[in-house]
Amino acid sequence: MDLSGKFYKAFSDRQSAIEKQYGPKQAEKQHSKGKLTAHERINLLFDNKTFEEIDAFVTPADQPVEFGKVERSYGDGVIVGHGKVNGRLVFAYAQDFTIMGGSLGIVHAKKIAKIQEMALKMGSPIIALIDSGGARIQEGVASLSGYAAIFQNIIHSSGIIPQISVIMGPAAGGAVYSPALTDFVFMVNHTSYMFVTGPNVVKEVLNEDVSSEELGGAEVHARKSGVAHMIYDDEENAILALKKFLSYLPSNNVENPPIVNDDGSVNEINEKLRGIIPEDPNKAYDVKDVIAQIIDKNSFFETSELFGANLVTGFARLTGKTIGVVANQPKVLAGVLDINSSTKGARFIRFCDAFNIPIITFEDVPGFLPGIDQEHSGIIRHGAKLLFAYSEATVPKITIILRKAYGGAFIVMNSKNLGGDFSFAWPSAEIAVMGPDGAVAILYRKELAESKNPVELKKELVKKYRDKIANPFIADESGYIDEVIDPAVTRKKIISALNALNNKWVKVPARKHGNMPL
Amino acid sequence: MANDKIRIKKLYTLSSENRKFSFSLPLKHKIKIGKREYEVKLKADEKYGTYILWKNRKYPVEIIRSSQNKYEILFNDISYTFTVETPFSLQRMKVLNSNRGKIEQEIIKAPMPGKIIDVLVREGTTVLRGEPVVILEAMKMQNEIISPVNGMVVKVMAKPNTNVMKDDILVEIKL
Amino acid sequence: MMKIKRILIANRGEIAVRIMKTAHLMKIETVVVKTAIEPYAMYLTGADVIFDNSEDNSEIPVFLNIEKLIAIALETKANAIHPGYGFLAENAYFAQKCIDNDLIFIGPSPDAIYKMGNKTIARKIALASGIPMAMGSEGNIANEEEAAVIAEKIGYPVIIKAASGGGGRGMRIVRKADEMEKMFIIASKEAEKAFNDPSVFVEKYIDNPKHIEFQILGDSKGNVIHLGERECSIQRKHQKLLEEAPSCALDEKLRKKMGDMAVQIAKAVDYSSAGTVEFLLDTDKNFYFMEMNTRIQVEHPVTEIITGLDLIEQQIRIANGEELRYKQNDIKLKGWAIECRINAEDVQAGFSPDPGKIENFNMPSDPCVRVDTGVQTGSSIVASYDSMIAKLIVRGKDRKDAIKNCKMALDKVWIKGTKTTLPFFRMLVRHQKFQDGTFTTSFIEKDLEKYYFNSDYEEMLAAWLATKLFVEENLNDDSINVNFEHGKTMSPWLLNKRINQF
Repeated sequence: MDLSGKFYKAFSDRQSAIEKQYGPKQAEKQHSKGKLTAHERINLLFDNKTFEEIDAFVTPADQPVEFGKVERSYGDGVIVGHGKVNGRLVFAYAQDFTIMGGSLGIVHAKKIAKIQEMALKMGSPIIALIDSGGARIQEGVASLSGYAAIFQNIIHSSGIIPQISVIMGPAAGGAVYSPALTDFVFMVNHTSYMFVTGPNVVKEVLNEDVSSEELGGAEVHARKSGVAHMIYDDEENAILALKKFLSYLPSNNVENPPIVNDDGSVNEINEKLRGIIPEDPNKAYDVKDVIAQIIDKNSFFETSELFGANLVTGFARLTGKTIGVVANQPKVLAGVLDINSSTKGARFIRFCDAFNIPIITFEDVPGFLPGIDQEHSGIIRHGAKLLFAYSEATVPKITIILRKAYGGAFIVMNSKNLGGDFSFAWPSAEIAVMGPDGAVAILYRKELAESKNPVELKKELVKKYRDKIANPFIADESGYIDEVIDPAVTRKKIISALNALNNKWVKVPARKHGNMPL
Repeated sequence: MANDKIRIKKLYTLSSENRKFSFSLPLKHKIKIGKREYEVKLKADEKYGTYILWKNRKYPVEIIRSSQNKYEILFNDISYTFTVETPFSLQRMKVLNSNRGKIEQEIIKAPMPGKIIDVLVREGTTVLRGEPVVILEAMKMQNEIISPVNGMVVKVMAKPNTNVMKDDILVEIKL
Repeated sequence: MMKIKRILIANRGEIAVRIMKTAHLMKIETVVVKTAIEPYAMYLTGADVIFDNSEDNSEIPVFLNIEKLIAIALETKANAIHPGYGFLAENAYFAQKCIDNDLIFIGPSPDAIYKMGNKTIARKIALASGIPMAMGSEGNIANEEEAAVIAEKIGYPVIIKAASGGGGRGMRIVRKADEMEKMFIIASKEAEKAFNDPSVFVEKYIDNPKHIEFQILGDSKGNVIHLGERECSIQRKHQKLLEEAPSCALDEKLRKKMGDMAVQIAKAVDYSSAGTVEFLLDTDKNFYFMEMNTRIQVEHPVTEIITGLDLIEQQIRIANGEELRYKQNDIKLKGWAIECRINAEDVQAGFSPDPGKIENFNMPSDPCVRVDTGVQTGSSIVASYDSMIAKLIVRGKDRKDAIKNCKMALDKVWIKGTKTTLPFFRMLVRHQKFQDGTFTTSFIEKDLEKYYFNSDYEEMLAAWLATKLFVEENLNDDSINVNFEHGKTMSPWLLNKRINQF
């Protein structure tokens, strides 16, 4: 097309101006910090040449009061649009740190709100690539109202379309609540930070010296606060992982999750599973080994790996279909439930329930973590979340009891009378009100105190308890679980259970919403 | 409008001993030595398990661990640790390394009181994130205390068959 | 007349398999013991009787439980016991207990085991027989002062050794007088912990020696011969890794001299079985008696190859009361043999044990290769026992030929499931000092820069694999072949209800 004609003069001028705005100099600025530019990120995320940008030429709002200076740039520091990710429609916005530090002014905010509303209308996932200094001070309250509108949109869309945030630079102040409200948060090590009040404020108010990284770096949020679900060493790995992650999720809450073609290469019978649980009931093992032997090859995508690691959560596939996996991890803190693992599990289960993803639970839990710290910090309140989430979920729910299933934790972990659809147990399962040692100490307190050889007596009683009570057969014979199965056939059992539950529907009593103990 | 695509054309695979191998994409099943290209095949069968066939010789391979872009591979009985970097992530690594102080340490503390059953590393061992370093018995259970970082063990304070309190230092790791 | 009808093999693993093999050839039945630790071990296949001891959960392995082993032998009607190596092989009490219960102990007399087991007594016997020995204390020494006096006399460096010791424990080298006090205490404490006996003695420490040992056969009629030497200088922390026979450090004259000495010391204790006399050989070809092992040794196959004798058969025949069929002149050493101990160890992590399940196990089947093993595909190397997977024994017409064959054989060994010492041997056979034979017992610590060998391209191939995995996981559009349309088609039952809910 000839763009030299008179109609096109202004058009081509603008084109070259915007190309200059996003030129190599800006790119260099980002690259020198180890970061990609907003366009590079977008291009990595979307399939080749499928991204369509909208509102590329909008300019920032006029300042209500002259204070500082607003850069007159095209796009106002954010790129919004839609395109295909692995062939599916996805909406996204990417903040551009090279333009006024990616700060959020009212026009910037309106662009984001516009794309959020479109994503909701179309029932498509939305991705936020965040790299912003926060609210634009020069625009005052207008930028705050912009944030509010964005938050409102996220909350409206919550549970309807998947919303994922990738933090690729700073996210400070009120801005942090935008990712916090979304379903999953990805962060990049060393170059992304999230905090409500930054190191400067901490220094002023508390006179404590702390670096951005220590206060709100990716590691901190992945390990300690649980804010970040996934962290990566660089942006490319983060975005590549995000693409993979999206392949597990449906576009909205009406659809079912996508499937990948199952090549049938995984055998339904896997004898390796028989050898994973150690003979010694006090010995740990890695529950991820169990998961890996059951699901489709290499299909496990773990979420919140470093936070509450005593409970493993993540997505996987069975015959190509997405499942949500929740599993106690005997390798970490013996797999007990504590505050962090309970809240982590509860939020994951709610996501699965919202997006029609069946939940498979692998149970090996000795109980809740005892201690003053846990009790005073509200393990009752937080443990109730997990209980609530499991019970509330109407998607297919299947439990495999691998080993320990004791007391309250047994009830919480998707027990059959809590609405679990199928409950299978391996022969190594121990289902009882409490572990052998505790039970024996209570039931035979007197005998033990009077015995000449309490150690021997206890050993004997523990063995008796194991044989008589702490096994899966009593629960099986009384119908509290469905079947004691050979570990080797676990995959087969889950697949046929899921097939049976394919059209599961539970009528939920009409109400505004339940009152989850938050 | 903006430059079309940052398609990844090349990958750099760095060994833990800082050797750098570059591979252009799409990845070929051939490796060039001097002027000749030789075919590499990844195969698996009942008798040998997984192996690489190269110049008419079979080499046993096993993927010991992988997380993100880090891979530990056992090749012909020798283990190698690699990170696979794109041209940009390689540059980013250099930038971050020069911005950051070189020496960084991670201190692994006991997460709960208990008894050390086994120390799985010694000074000089390289560890990967997620690798167990100490086995701590608490609550009648053996817990693997894992390394939160990739690095090299510089100090081992934990001793088998000793009791530790919460937050006692077990191992120091240099990043 | 073969009195021995049925042998209880009081051992496991490779040596149990080895003993069984000869017993079968001699038409003698065998009994093996099944344990809870290795209920599916290879040594259990091929025995005539398996005694199931897998219900026994005691802390002490059955192979160390004298009463239990005797009871098993009696119960299974075995009339002889072969102890193998390790465990109770050099336990005089066990040998005596066998005799007391009318069981034939396939090994030397309890008296010989006792005398050679105690290093102080052994030294005295050797001294009396005129065997050259490193200068040292005449008996055990009481304290560090006494040790210092002796050390002054014989000159530093000296070595403190545990009287009841072995395997490198309770041993300390003292290079200077001011180290003596510390080292004495350490060695004595270590000895007490390891052998329940704190007594130690002092002798001259020989720097950079070669480890040369002579295989002895003695019968109950007083005949003793030697079967030539083995060189076991490739050691790490006193653990042998590679052995060969003969040794390139010996000529006929020295061989005869050392062999005669070995025979002499065996005669001094009326030795009747297979045994090994160990010497240190210094750089000036002076040799010193170290100790005598009163059992079959791990490295016995190299001697079998160059002599053509079956040492287990010889042990059984001697225990049966037969007279040796060979005179010293009948023994001719032919060719060269090398044995590599392939252990489940991580060479890169300082030879630390790496137990695990053997997923694939293929050994070369060339005529020049013999494999002694107790594992097969699917076996487990358990942490409770030693880490040996297999012994790769290679023959050649001379040393050069044997090394060449060894190099070839090492490349054909295929073990998956645990890390092994293979990369170490691949390095060793290429090393100049190994090839020219100038290595000593300090070779690994001093001369080896790198403990493993990889060819120039191996790391690159591994890198290629890592890259391939990365590409498949992250960049290959085919790998995520997602069908999003599927999610939109569902049963009307579900779809209607789902839509009506919202």
